[in-house]
Amino acid sequence: MNSPDPATEQEFQRLCEFLYRRTGLLFTETKRYYVERRMFERMSATGSGSFANYFARLRSNVNGEVEQLINALTVNETYFYREEHQLQCLTSDLLKERLKAKPRGQGIRIWSVPCSTGEEPYSIAIWLLENWPEVDHHHIEIIGSDIDTRVIEAAREGYFGKRALMRLSPDLVAKYFIDLGDEQWRILDSLRESVRFTPVNLAEPGGTGLHGKFDVIFCRNVLIYFDDASRRAAAENLYENLEPGGFLCLGHSESMSRISPLFDVCRYSDAIVYQRPLETRNA
Amino acid sequence: MPEAQKARALVVDDAGLVRAYYRDILERHGYHVEEALNGVEAMEKLLQASFDFIILDVNMPRMDGITFLKTLRRQALPLASIPAIVVSTESETHDISDARAAGANHYLIKPLREGSLVQYAALLSGKAA
Amino acid sequence: MPLIRKDPEDSPPSPPVSSDLIADLQSPSSEARWSAARQLAKDRANVGHLGRALGKEADPRVREALFTGLAQIQTPDAIAAILPHIRSDDAAMRAGALDALGAAPQAVENSIPALLRDPDPDVRILVCDIVRRLPGPIATRHLCALLKAETHPNVCGAAVEALSEVGNETALPVLAKCADRFASEPFLLFSINTASERITGDGRPGGSQSA
Repeated sequence: MNSPDPATEQEFQRLCEFLYRRTGLLFTETKRYYVERRMFERMSATGSGSFANYFARLRSNVNGEVEQLINALTVNETYFYREEHQLQCLTSDLLKERLKAKPRGQGIRIWSVPCSTGEEPYSIAIWLLENWPEVDHHHIEIIGSDIDTRVIEAAREGYFGKRALMRLSPDLVAKYFIDLGDEQWRILDSLRESVRFTPVNLAEPGGTGLHGKFDVIFCRNVLIYFDDASRRAAAENLYENLEPGGFLCLGHSESMSRISPLFDVCRYSDAIVYQRPLETRNA
Repeated sequence: MPEAQKARALVVDDAGLVRAYYRDILERHGYHVEEALNGVEAMEKLLQASFDFIILDVNMPRMDGITFLKTLRRQALPLASIPAIVVSTESETHDISDARAAGANHYLIKPLREGSLVQYAALLSGKAA
Repeated sequence: MPLIRKDPEDSPPSPPVSSDLIADLQSPSSEARWSAARQLAKDRANVGHLGRALGKEADPRVREALFTGLAQIQTPDAIAAILPHIRSDDAAMRAGALDALGAAPQAVENSIPALLRDPDPDVRILVCDIVRRLPGPIATRHLCALLKAETHPNVCGAAVEALSEVGNETALPVLAKCADRFASEPFLLFSINTASERITGDGRPGGSQSA
């Protein structure tokens, strides 16, 4: 099959607008090549001969095409130190801000939701131990949650393959993992015991209250799969689970702008994050 | 004109055809145009790049134009001082006073004509019309 | 090791009683009102309380929670509690109502023909945005019925906008007639051209890529 013609300006914009309205994923002109490649893959996989054919299929969500395209665009894969720039932002800005706002001696609580098989919450733990000089002065509680109880069990067990560790230096692997041979590693017991894993349904109204309030929540690449009503409920849950002034980190290309006006947008050198306002203001 | 010297406009409107219409006109008159679909997205864009002026609709989902403008005017300088043209439909006279109170520099009525869009864009960007 | 783990206590706190929550909707604390709104939204019997609170609520975040709750309940009385607010003088309130209705477009569908005949053009404009979230053929039917008789250029603009995304070929003759009626409105002509090109392109087997 010949490779399809590049999408026209108007086609690209229509696709982006559709994705944004439907999922909250926001791609700009700089991501055009990337988005087009993924779209052509999906066109080829579905046997769509033209942009218009494919777009019609997408709009009617034939065989879950919206989810298929989201999967292709977000690379639905989890590994240690994914989106390192957000971890950088955590230690260079977010934790400082939170400590300024909190009474002395109060601990820091961080939530990774959904946590999948544990790569993200464990990454946060390792990153803090390695990159935050103040780590010894504070109590830090990390919780990982997911709707899928099988992945939670796997996260608690803490076994990982080579792909999951690909971004970690050999030094870090040696320091925090036991090499079991056969390209299998297990994360140290001390880390397994310090991160708590729980089941949660983010889209159930009020379904997350028992988890308490957090200083920072990582919630990457999940809201994009929800419908409008579930997204609203999830955004309100996340708002409730944040301390006033607490921060919410979404996935790369994900934007809160299509989902909820509850949060303030904050720009730091390493990332755009969302903040629960310190106090409720009346408009 | 080299891209770097162009005045930069942020067009904020939920309607894709309205944005396309403004873009078409402004680009023909030598402006660089970026778009946002509502107030929250506009705020994200403004935090990532600088703009010379904003063209802003009132009725938009997630964050309406008036709320956006109030939020913008509470930010630190120079962000807070970016000039904004608010555009809305004729019958919403109450919006005019709300927009002024929220910090709109000008208030125009839809549907916008090319002439008035270009005139106000030139005024706000300090470009001779 | 600075990382700590706190396992939860055995029994979760018991949920608050409904009558307390209803009283909390009037609390001076927006925190308490927010939390009451969210708890009450779990039971559709509370639609009346949520609707009345919405009419008096000034805090935008509490309003958001009330709108979300009503949109999730989706019963005719929940939709009826949201609808009046698309006429609000407050732009934030209109946006909130529109988003809430947009999250439950199927539940609003019965009200749509009447809303598209509303004497207030602003209402007709906003309702076009709800219609665009319905399945394509249904949306096209509603929007074409509106466009055939609509005299207000901004309402036509909103209908054309929605058709440009969800319309099918049955809209093309209606769009062409509309262009004739508004030959002196450059924005509408631009919109109708673009929308017609998109619809034509999508209907052709070879797609919208022109030679």
